[in-house]
Amino acid sequence: MALDAEDFTAFIDLCSTEFDYRITVYSPEIRKEMIWLDQDYEGMRALLEMVPQHLKRLGTLKRHVSVYIIDHDATAAIATVTSSFIVTHTDPDGVSQLFVAGTYYDEVDCRGDRYLLKRRRAHLETRDLGIGSHIPI
Amino acid sequence: MSARRYQDRARPPNLRSEDYVSGQVYRDDGVFRDELDTVLGKVWHFACHVSEVPEPGDYRTFLHALQPLFVIRGEDEKLRCFFNTCPQCGARLLGDGAGTAARLRCVRHPGQFDWSGRVVASAQSEDNAESDVLSAAPRLREIHAETKNGLVFVNLDDAAQPLDAFLGQGLEIFDGVFGDDGVEYEVFHFHRATVKANWKAWQETIVDLYHEFMHVVLRTTQMTAAPMSARDMRVYPNGHLAIGGLKADYDNYKGYSARDGSAAFPGLTVDDARFTPLFPDTTIITRGTVMRIDTVTPLDPHRTIVESRGLGIKGEPEADRLMRMRHHNDYWGPFGRNVPEDAFAAEACEKSFGKGAGRYQIIARDEGGRGQDDLMLRAYYKAWSEMTGRLAHSPGNT
Amino acid sequence: MENSAGTRQTLPEMPDTHVVSGAVYTDKAIFEDEKRRVFGQCWHLACHESELGEAYDYRTFDYIGTPLIAIRGGDGVVRTFMNVCSHRGAKIIQEPSGNAKRLTCFYHLWSYDDRGNCVDIPRPEAYESSGLKKDDCGLFEVRTETHLGLVFINLDDKAPPVADYIGAALDPFADSLGSGELEVFHYNRAILHANWKAWQETNLDLYHEWMHVLLRRTQVGEGSMNTRVVKSFENGHTMGGGLKASYDKYKGMAARDPGMALPGLGPDDFFFVDLWPNAALLARGTAIRIDVVTPIDEKTMLVEWRGLGLKGDSADVRRTRMQHHNQYWGPFGRNVPEDAFAAEACELGFRHGAATRQLIAREEGGKGQDDGMLRAWYAEWARRMGRSPANPTNAIAPD
Repeated sequence: MALDAEDFTAFIDLCSTEFDYRITVYSPEIRKEMIWLDQDYEGMRALLEMVPQHLKRLGTLKRHVSVYIIDHDATAAIATVTSSFIVTHTDPDGVSQLFVAGTYYDEVDCRGDRYLLKRRRAHLETRDLGIGSHIPI
Repeated sequence: MSARRYQDRARPPNLRSEDYVSGQVYRDDGVFRDELDTVLGKVWHFACHVSEVPEPGDYRTFLHALQPLFVIRGEDEKLRCFFNTCPQCGARLLGDGAGTAARLRCVRHPGQFDWSGRVVASAQSEDNAESDVLSAAPRLREIHAETKNGLVFVNLDDAAQPLDAFLGQGLEIFDGVFGDDGVEYEVFHFHRATVKANWKAWQETIVDLYHEFMHVVLRTTQMTAAPMSARDMRVYPNGHLAIGGLKADYDNYKGYSARDGSAAFPGLTVDDARFTPLFPDTTIITRGTVMRIDTVTPLDPHRTIVESRGLGIKGEPEADRLMRMRHHNDYWGPFGRNVPEDAFAAEACEKSFGKGAGRYQIIARDEGGRGQDDLMLRAYYKAWSEMTGRLAHSPGNT
Repeated sequence: MENSAGTRQTLPEMPDTHVVSGAVYTDKAIFEDEKRRVFGQCWHLACHESELGEAYDYRTFDYIGTPLIAIRGGDGVVRTFMNVCSHRGAKIIQEPSGNAKRLTCFYHLWSYDDRGNCVDIPRPEAYESSGLKKDDCGLFEVRTETHLGLVFINLDDKAPPVADYIGAALDPFADSLGSGELEVFHYNRAILHANWKAWQETNLDLYHEWMHVLLRRTQVGEGSMNTRVVKSFENGHTMGGGLKASYDKYKGMAARDPGMALPGLGPDDFFFVDLWPNAALLARGTAIRIDVVTPIDEKTMLVEWRGLGLKGDSADVRRTRMQHHNQYWGPFGRNVPEDAFAAEACELGFRHGAATRQLIAREEGGKGQDDGMLRAWYAEWARRMGRSPANPTNAIAPD
């Protein structure tokens, strides 16, 4: 929701300082698993802070997430969460289209007062991203 | 002087003819058909990197000049390029982008071909590879394929000059990069995107240095890192171009860090940036630690497939590979800082040229082959004019 | 069997004025002619002045493939320019609306002011040897005039002024639109898959009120068919007036409060004016709707809908006005989706020649459900296009 609203501070606030983020995708063309974005907590913060200065895709992105599996390891106070997502893009004329589909593999740190996102792997099904995006998925 | 009158929009700019380009080159169907025949149908086109087809039987399919093609490695290790269609019935052979095939099978009938394009089974004689029927059956239609520095090029023109003659000195700025003994590159990144723009509008985002004003990362890391006068643009025969002398201060952009100590490619320092747009549809760009190869493939005058590859060194430590992926993605990935902006620009030009609103673009900058000179754009369109036989500033006239 | 399959190509015995051939909706050459002779020469309603309330407010829009930007200058005058950079042709401003003293192209940061002057070129010294001057790089300006608060543009620099073009056609709106007190509270747009004229016809055809449950209940039986007026004006503009509505006859609706009526309107009044070629203004007591249709190609169109109320509306009144507007005219309303359905259904009939013509032959002495508006519209089309709507593939007059 914070990313949809482009409220990047709020998003970073939900992440642990150990945050480890990757967008991955498999290419059948080169037959390899690829990484399309790889950031730690500080890297993500800087990347998001710079977004407003860029010439970015017009309109808005909206993420729709369905949680499939929650696996809570009480001893380690870590939950692993697997979710399916689709992201729609709505252009300035109000036309919406599917932008990307994929799966989140998340680790949530449950040790403190608040749950914090410790690790996210966003694995994409969609490979043609048109002009791409300055904002992570 | 104020705005100009709408009715005067068709009037050409008051400039030398080489200093502007007509919007018709981006939208005219006749121009596009000519480009397919006289430009894309004649040039050597970058198809893939050898690392994508390492073993006999490995293939890679692609589209070039609207033709479905594939490159395959033979038993003899030779790379050949064929039309991805059955010579008997026209049906497709290979459906995937890449793979390994024991035999190339027609999807429609029992025709089978080996890796060198010979028929090994047909509808008439499925099991007898030596029969007269087979020896008379047509082979796969083959086109020229040659490799240079691990880059596989193909050419649709049966009478094409050799690849070396076509490239000339076009790759010289990478002499130290590719020439080093023992270094083998491999592709680790591939992104194919459909961009709603004419294919040349994408190529222009590479050839045009002046547009670095658009990119926040170039404004902060590149424009001040080395003097404009140190930039060195080169124009080669057949429309190939190169620029060297660019430097980058990566730590000037928030979230990037200086790349000191990272493993640069041979012949490069970590802060070097060089690129060479090979006429008409391929670009090789290096930034110290990373190398990107782009190709543009038109689908029609208004839509283009852009394929982007990232390369690393085969067998390098995982940490180096992760570093290269990160550096690659910083600028060039689909979630990177630069490439989405270039695509934005190409599509914004399409919005004006695509239906004929925009009439001309100006490529008149002169900085003596340095700085942000439009020299490379002019050279690109000069080569385009020579090949198409049409004038880029007035393509209705030949 | 006049309408048997074997004879469907045969036109009925009717004057040419009463028949429209399907080719006007499907023929590519006709559409190319329309771009030139209709959209290239007629005044086009671009927006309402309330959308450009402050100095340097702008609105961008596409018109016949041309990106345009209307901007209110520092001097209060609204001007329109091609939204295309003189340098490399990029579309300059991407957002539909905004406020900017400088229009700066994102690509190489060339800048233009509110008069279309090119005011900044980064590192301009590199252009000295070519002779390129900033003064030669202004934006292309498109004629813009405001009439009754409506901002019109014209691609033809030689066209007569918009006030002459419209003549008396908007007189019924003089008190409302002319009051200067209206503002746009509703805007939506949609791509419809039909020829653009099929939309315009939904606003010219009184007979189709049978299609709308809402009109059957609230309008057909109200007042008298005899008090209705179907009129035509110079330049193809038309009007349907004298209609009345009893809103409480439709389940879930209520009669309009006279206190909410817009200036010059009674609460149960309904009338509409079609501005040739592609705009319609509809007044229903408490709200005004403005439609503008712009073709994308011969089988696709963009329709834009606006709803207008009073600038000084209280929050409660505005809410009610929006409800009234949306009951009929919103994208979730009762009428507009039915009109869009009808336009696309006609397209399906005409596209591949299953239907070859339509009849606009109703005559009720300019009252009731007379097709007079449709005939007047097509008479102007014939004049502008040099083609007969009944037999349009033969041009009747040279260019």
